[in-house]
Amino acid sequence: MKAKLLTRLLSAKPRLPEAGSPAGALLKLGGFFLLLILVCVATDHAIDGGLRRIRTSRFGGWNRVMQGEVNAQLVISGSSRAASHYDPRILRQRTGLTAFNIGRNGTQTDLQFAVLKAYLAHNRKPEVVIHNLDAFSFVTSREVYDSVLYVPYLNDDGLYRDLSRMQPELWRSRYIPLYGYVVADMSFSWLRGLGAWLGIMPREDFVDGFDPRAKAWTDEFRHFHAANPDGVRWEIEKKGIALLEEMAALCRQRGIKFVLVYSPEYIEMQKMTRNREEIFRRFREIASREQCLFLDFSSWRNSGDTRYFTNSQHLNAEGASRFSNDLALALNERLLHAGNRPGEAQLVRTTVAPAVLGRGAAK
Amino acid sequence: MLFNSLEFAVFLPIVVAMYFLVAPSWRIRVLLVASCIFYMAFIPEYIAILFVTIIIDYVAGIYLEKTEGARRKSILLVSIVSTCSVLVVFKYFNFFSESLAAALSFLGVPASPLVAKIILPIGLSFHTFQSLSYVIEVYRGHQKAIHSFEHYATYVMFFPQLVAGPIERPQNLLPQFVEGHKFAYEDVTAGLKRMAWGFFKKLVIADRLAIYVNDVYADPHSFNGLQLTLATLFFAYQIYCDFSGYSDIAIGSARILGFRLMENFHTPYFSRSVSEFWRRWHISLSSWFKDYFYVPLGGSRVAAGRQVFNLIATFALSGLWHGANWTFVLWGLLNGVYLVAGKFSRPWRDRLSAAVGIAENSLFRRATMLSCTFALTCVAWVLFRAESLHDAVYIYSHLLVGWDFNQIATPHFLLRQLPVAFLSIAVLEMCQMFGNRVDVPTFALRFPQPARWAFYTAGVLMVILFGVYQKTQFIYFQF
Repeated sequence: MKAKLLTRLLSAKPRLPEAGSPAGALLKLGGFFLLLILVCVATDHAIDGGLRRIRTSRFGGWNRVMQGEVNAQLVISGSSRAASHYDPRILRQRTGLTAFNIGRNGTQTDLQFAVLKAYLAHNRKPEVVIHNLDAFSFVTSREVYDSVLYVPYLNDDGLYRDLSRMQPELWRSRYIPLYGYVVADMSFSWLRGLGAWLGIMPREDFVDGFDPRAKAWTDEFRHFHAANPDGVRWEIEKKGIALLEEMAALCRQRGIKFVLVYSPEYIEMQKMTRNREEIFRRFREIASREQCLFLDFSSWRNSGDTRYFTNSQHLNAEGASRFSNDLALALNERLLHAGNRPGEAQLVRTTVAPAVLGRGAAK
Repeated sequence: MLFNSLEFAVFLPIVVAMYFLVAPSWRIRVLLVASCIFYMAFIPEYIAILFVTIIIDYVAGIYLEKTEGARRKSILLVSIVSTCSVLVVFKYFNFFSESLAAALSFLGVPASPLVAKIILPIGLSFHTFQSLSYVIEVYRGHQKAIHSFEHYATYVMFFPQLVAGPIERPQNLLPQFVEGHKFAYEDVTAGLKRMAWGFFKKLVIADRLAIYVNDVYADPHSFNGLQLTLATLFFAYQIYCDFSGYSDIAIGSARILGFRLMENFHTPYFSRSVSEFWRRWHISLSSWFKDYFYVPLGGSRVAAGRQVFNLIATFALSGLWHGANWTFVLWGLLNGVYLVAGKFSRPWRDRLSAAVGIAENSLFRRATMLSCTFALTCVAWVLFRAESLHDAVYIYSHLLVGWDFNQIATPHFLLRQLPVAFLSIAVLEMCQMFGNRVDVPTFALRFPQPARWAFYTAGVLMVILFGVYQKTQFIYFQF
């Protein structure tokens, strides 16, 4: 009986409906859309794979983080100021600690924290985390800036959870093929992905996550000043304060030395920030509460010299090199060689007087 | 609801499925409800304004049919005035008020304009004109009055062309609501292909060029002559691809449901004269003005002076239809001047060509005419796009000066977008040239299905990959 049924099934000709009939038309249309979806999924997959394969540019640094290849002793976290101010090569040379920069352009503390958590989840525990502060550190993100960087890793539950808290519609980039590459990004990163999939790597413009800016002073600050003649006030969000405290607490729990650094900012911009005193009072309070070192480079020796800046917020490559040297000296002096070897629990709880630090670093 | 949104990608298949699944007698209701949902996705309250227009002209149509003699004209007038008053209040009130105040101030009478805080209902000018077209046709006896309110409401509100046309004539669209449409593979695929072509124009070309144009036209004083010229050139393609892309998606969506909407564009930048351009650009509006305004004024069957007046008046009104701003009125007037100049200089130009030995159909003459028409159109587009007359004057006076090839990009339009912008325009023009010579659907059938499917899939994938998805509203929605 079974054999008969099997023979009948095998010998039966498949009766597909004619395209002229509604059922046939639906079948054909369904077939076409299925093909289209498959092509989109395959392309998405190729872009994902290609972007993950990149070892150069900003993608390369992030790939090394997510693939657990960094394992540095000293990690620098923060915004574009972090990315462009801290040269890991100089820090390594001067402190003896391997260093890596996970600073991200266009990010606020919430996204910076998510990136740090992802780093800690995939790499060996660092001995020191330096978190760079900005005047706008207490303002939180409304969106995930440069989200295309994270799209290949949205299947990482921890990262996805943190990022989707900032931008709930990120689910589209995770579940809809190509969405994260074409809708949420306009920089043709999908071309980079496909190129890398074929073995064509983008140009290297980062060094261990560090983004050296070989640029001279631009007109940006003049325009900014003209547009804001009465100065600016940065919001102090409770959420921003809590995030910074959480970041410090996480490092403390894991036995990582957490250092807050306010890296150099152009002196005229400092004068424009109307609530600067209050912001810095909050920084000092957090440092004190969380028992961490706070290094304030507001009065850095070159803060008034535009030769070392590209704009009011960012040092150029030369400025970054000078600052990294000065920071390494301060770290040696205050954290590493002051009876507090890396990995030891004792922490220096002083806020470094900026002027002293500036002169000290100039030696 | 925008055509270039995820919502529409979900909405259309549901409407199509429901339309073909319900009994034929219920289909009109499906379309009416779908059209209401589509319109209410913008500003829900404004559907009431739409219904006011619908009710006025629905009732007027019935009365026009029942009435004879001189009263018919009164009914038509009441209907036109009432329908247009909605348009005037919502679209032109502030413009007239500000213009009056400015005129009084100029005459030395201090006056401050009365400004109403009104948001213009989406597509108001389009459905007003479609509604007017119905009452005029009933008045002329070319169309029977519609007694079914749902049929008439669906005629005005039919979602594919509700917010930006094509402005349909009742003789074309109304009978299609009573025809029994069958789910036809040919209609669905033809509709989908037309939509894909529309999405290419909108997402790949128009929305990319919009980034450049918006940057430059928002503050023309900050850009050099090259950027101003490029932005003007880009705007010519942006507005064409935006509007004709919308029309393609509208025509394609309707085709899936079995409806045939009128064509709205026919490669207008291939025109060799401005009058030809207007026969190929926004055909449904141009023919509307021709049938209901220009011809009743006497058209071209009057003395030369009156012809000039008829042309200028028609184009000035067309400009005003586009927007409540003097830049639009001047844009319309300029086009009217082009047409008048073109019409009366034709014999002189022909004599000149003959004198220098250029044959009428020679490639040189055709290319010159095409280039001149395109240049004249671009010059007019400056007025259409500029935020103010002051900006337009600045752009005209700086288009050809201070070109700096090192500064082409704008704050939001990076240089890497430029090759894609030019390449996509080239693809558009090549496809249009090919489409003008070959019947593409028949040509495609020469190839086996796997090749066709591979081509379509690659095409759709390219649109997806190179599209710009910033939910940019279609330009003509504001009209």
